Amino acid sequence: MAQQPFGAMSAAQIQAGLKAKEFSAAEVARGALDRIAVADEPVHSFLEVTEELALEAAARVDDALVAGTFDELGPLAGVPVGFKDNMNLVGTRTTCSSRMLADYASPYTATCVQRCLDAGALPMGKLNMDEFAFGSSTETSAFGPTRNPWDLGRVPGGSSGGSAAAVAAGLVPVTLGSDTGGSIRQPASFCGVVGIKPTYGLVSRYGVVAFGSSLDQVGPFSRTVADAALAMNAIAGRDPLDCTSQPNDVDFAAALDEGAQGMRVGIVPEFLEAPGLTPEVRERIEEVAAKLEAEGATLVDVHLPNAKAAMSAYYVLGPCEAFSNLARFDSVRYGYCDSGHKDLNAQYEASRATGFGEEARRRIMLGSYLLSAGVYERYYYPAQQVRTLITQDYARAFEQVDCILAPVSPRTAFEFGEIGDPTEMYLSDMFTISINIAGNGGMSVPVGIGRDTGLPIGAQLVAPAFQDRAMMRLAAAIERLYGEAPVAPGFADGKAGE
Amino acid sequence: MRKLEEVLNDWEAVIGLEVHAELTTLRTKMFCGCKLEFGAEPNTHTCPVCLGLPGALPVPNRAAIEGIVLAGLATNCDIEKHSMFYRKNYMYPDMAKNFQTTQGPVAFCMRGWLDLDVDGPAARERHGLDALEPGQAEGNVTRTEEGYTAHVGITRIHMEEDAGKMVHVGGGEGRIAGATHSLVDYNRAGTPLIELVTEPDLRTPEEARLFMQKLRQIYLALGISNCSMEEGSLRCDGNVSLRRRGSSALGVKTELKNMNSFKNLHDGLAYEICRQAEVLEEGGQIYQETRHWDPTAKRTIVMRVKETADDYRLFPEPDLAPYDLSDEFVEAVRAKLPELPDQKAARYATEHGLSAYDARHLVDHRATADFFDACMALAAAEGDGSRFAKPLANLIINDVTAYMNAHEGFDLAESPLTPERAMELVRLVASDAVSSKQAKEVFAAVLAEDKSPEAIVAERGMEQVSDTGAIEAVVDEVMAANPDKVEQYRGGKTGLLGFFVGQCMKAMRGQGNPKVINELLAAKLDA
Repeated sequence: MAQQPFGAMSAAQIQAGLKAKEFSAAEVARGALDRIAVADEPVHSFLEVTEELALEAAARVDDALVAGTFDELGPLAGVPVGFKDNMNLVGTRTTCSSRMLADYASPYTATCVQRCLDAGALPMGKLNMDEFAFGSSTETSAFGPTRNPWDLGRVPGGSSGGSAAAVAAGLVPVTLGSDTGGSIRQPASFCGVVGIKPTYGLVSRYGVVAFGSSLDQVGPFSRTVADAALAMNAIAGRDPLDCTSQPNDVDFAAALDEGAQGMRVGIVPEFLEAPGLTPEVRERIEEVAAKLEAEGATLVDVHLPNAKAAMSAYYVLGPCEAFSNLARFDSVRYGYCDSGHKDLNAQYEASRATGFGEEARRRIMLGSYLLSAGVYERYYYPAQQVRTLITQDYARAFEQVDCILAPVSPRTAFEFGEIGDPTEMYLSDMFTISINIAGNGGMSVPVGIGRDTGLPIGAQLVAPAFQDRAMMRLAAAIERLYGEAPVAPGFADGKAGE
Repeated sequence: MRKLEEVLNDWEAVIGLEVHAELTTLRTKMFCGCKLEFGAEPNTHTCPVCLGLPGALPVPNRAAIEGIVLAGLATNCDIEKHSMFYRKNYMYPDMAKNFQTTQGPVAFCMRGWLDLDVDGPAARERHGLDALEPGQAEGNVTRTEEGYTAHVGITRIHMEEDAGKMVHVGGGEGRIAGATHSLVDYNRAGTPLIELVTEPDLRTPEEARLFMQKLRQIYLALGISNCSMEEGSLRCDGNVSLRRRGSSALGVKTELKNMNSFKNLHDGLAYEICRQAEVLEEGGQIYQETRHWDPTAKRTIVMRVKETADDYRLFPEPDLAPYDLSDEFVEAVRAKLPELPDQKAARYATEHGLSAYDARHLVDHRATADFFDACMALAAAEGDGSRFAKPLANLIINDVTAYMNAHEGFDLAESPLTPERAMELVRLVASDAVSSKQAKEVFAAVLAEDKSPEAIVAERGMEQVSDTGAIEAVVDEVMAANPDKVEQYRGGKTGLLGFFVGQCMKAMRGQGNPKVINELLAAKLDA
């Protein structure tokens, strides 16, 4: 039988083929490995490929197929999955795309990764990211940037750029990423794939290297909403090792066919009037709204008066938490060490100056300053107050609507080096950050190609807390209107970036 | 340097304590499931959480929260229903995350107090008592018959995690100076620790020592810690400053560390007070610094100068939700409070008629209080009620306590001195079967030979002679042998009575009843 482009198939298609004995899980794993070896060359989404782990997992799936117990394996049985490189997986390095952790191998596996493995996934490897998730372009990776499969001269977005690009290039059907201010939704939008940032607490953070503990959330990338639902079913739910995690009894795959009819969809005028929002993105979001209305949804204007302060609050709270979370990387027990100094402080300073990249150092110093005596009171405390106000804004909005529709990013993917000023880079996340501040679930769903740039545009859907199923239902309706996300043209039909 | 007593005449010492207690009786650590065990092989009780590995998250140990609430209730604290954990950020290899999880401005326990009863010579170190009548109060002090009671405020008790343990190798005695490298044992990392901070209400080293002793009794009674100062499960830092008598302004304080016994706490503070006085009297200046008490050299040495306050960049721990204690939880903990030492002492006074002094010293140790309770239960069973309470208290406070102090590791509950034997000894004395002097010998023999007092008395032929006829013969003999002394006595040198008693006792090889001897001698000499 001719080898199939397994990574370009959906999880559902792979599972159907396995059950019909059209191919084996070992063939799926081998096919995906071979495809990564060739097609990831120009993309550079994988930092490490876990051939052995993938083949071992495939053997277990094949055993289950022989034993007739395939259906008991779980929602990701036989599906190749990649993990952002801030997620621990025994047998791999967890580099966070940093020189600091270039050789760090975790002795334990993250809960979200373990749940994928327990659900029968084939672990294909670890994916590139902005260093410690600080960035919106994957350009801050110490191991070189990932390229956008739609245009190799452009960034895939970030920080989960590798996770988005691997799916867009058809290397794997499902990946996991993490989102602190937009790090799943923005690259999903740039790469034209589905990306979900679940409600804070829905997915365990245990074993995912922390950036901003109160903002971080793990979620899936895929080319179909149905595949994302399978992944959500695998990873969501209470974890005794993460006391901020919450129980889940929702089947995310169940409501996808219900359609937009009867849903009240919120439109945020302040977002659509925001300076910097490009016309092609604005018009597309308005078009999506109109189409949903035609499908039977009701459009309601909702106001988030404090959302404009989200960026400011985020760049206080995020760096403060990051400063503290990254303090453990001190060169003493593991990680990059510049040794031979006379005293410990000198070793700390030299190791951290070299081990961390520029953006990581910037956020650490920013957090250190913002938490210092006399400054803390002027920034951290007001930022927490802003957080409360934004959370209340969303809670009020969701009294009127079931879901909010908004842009993900003000524009489509930009070119490498196009944005040099960090504060301009931070604006990439202007529509996503307030959702992390409030804790709600948010996602990006592809809504076609921009008329000016010819690059993918994503629509952002925001759900009430722990009502993530509502946005997934709406996303499935939008998917039916715009079609399932294709593999990037340069990677379709066996091409590798030509 | 001048003596403490003299220094305190001119200066008032202002002392506050910070007391750390590890909740050693819990099974697991504060934020992970690792076992709590002192002395295990280094780094065998560790996991990703207490090693602070990337991606690990804390999960609070509810039993530890119960422990601190117990401590708060037993020290008259308000229990804060709503409190949060914070991160205290500083870099040091014994703290793998490079931040310590602790509490912020609101701790689980706030605004408590303990009363200290001070008596004996040390009570004279408190000034201004002479003007007070017993029962009269001034400031935080109330005059008592034997000394005074000091009311000591407790600012707060907060929950935090302990750090790992550093061992410096290659230098002298594990010191960092001269060391070639350092080892870290993370077994202790993440041990639940409660830190109690007092108000600066203490004025003498003795008060500090008594506070620490009382707190230890309470924690032991609560069963939340083994309170071993030697193993470091109970640790104490002292802040001390001086001001001229009559002044109310606070002086510059120093922080004292390494006071790992009651004696070291007392002596370290006493030294530091005298040192500061000398510096100030010579026109010098006290610097805000951390000093280390060296018990061998008997002096404090500078560890670290604090030019500015440390900036720990405290902020709420985002990985732990704010903690809300329900009324039901607090009440359930309150119901678990055992009888506390002060309550026990009060009961001894009312139930058994003991003096406040005796009662207090019985409860100094949980072992002696438990022993006393067991003995009194026996007495009650035999219908003796509180008849023997006082002699029993004397036996315990004098002989048993002295023995315990002289024999480290002595476990009264497991010793040959059972409550039955103690009561037997007390009864032998009460019935004049043995003298109080003989009783000391019997007491020692019980512990040395593991035999009952009656058996020892029989074996050694120690029965006390109370027979008046036999004693009268001896008295006559002694008087006849010392006519000159009899003359002197009758001439007014009545102090010679002791001499005659001694001679009689000697003649009777110590078995004569001293009471009868005294009576007969007095009668005959005064005749």
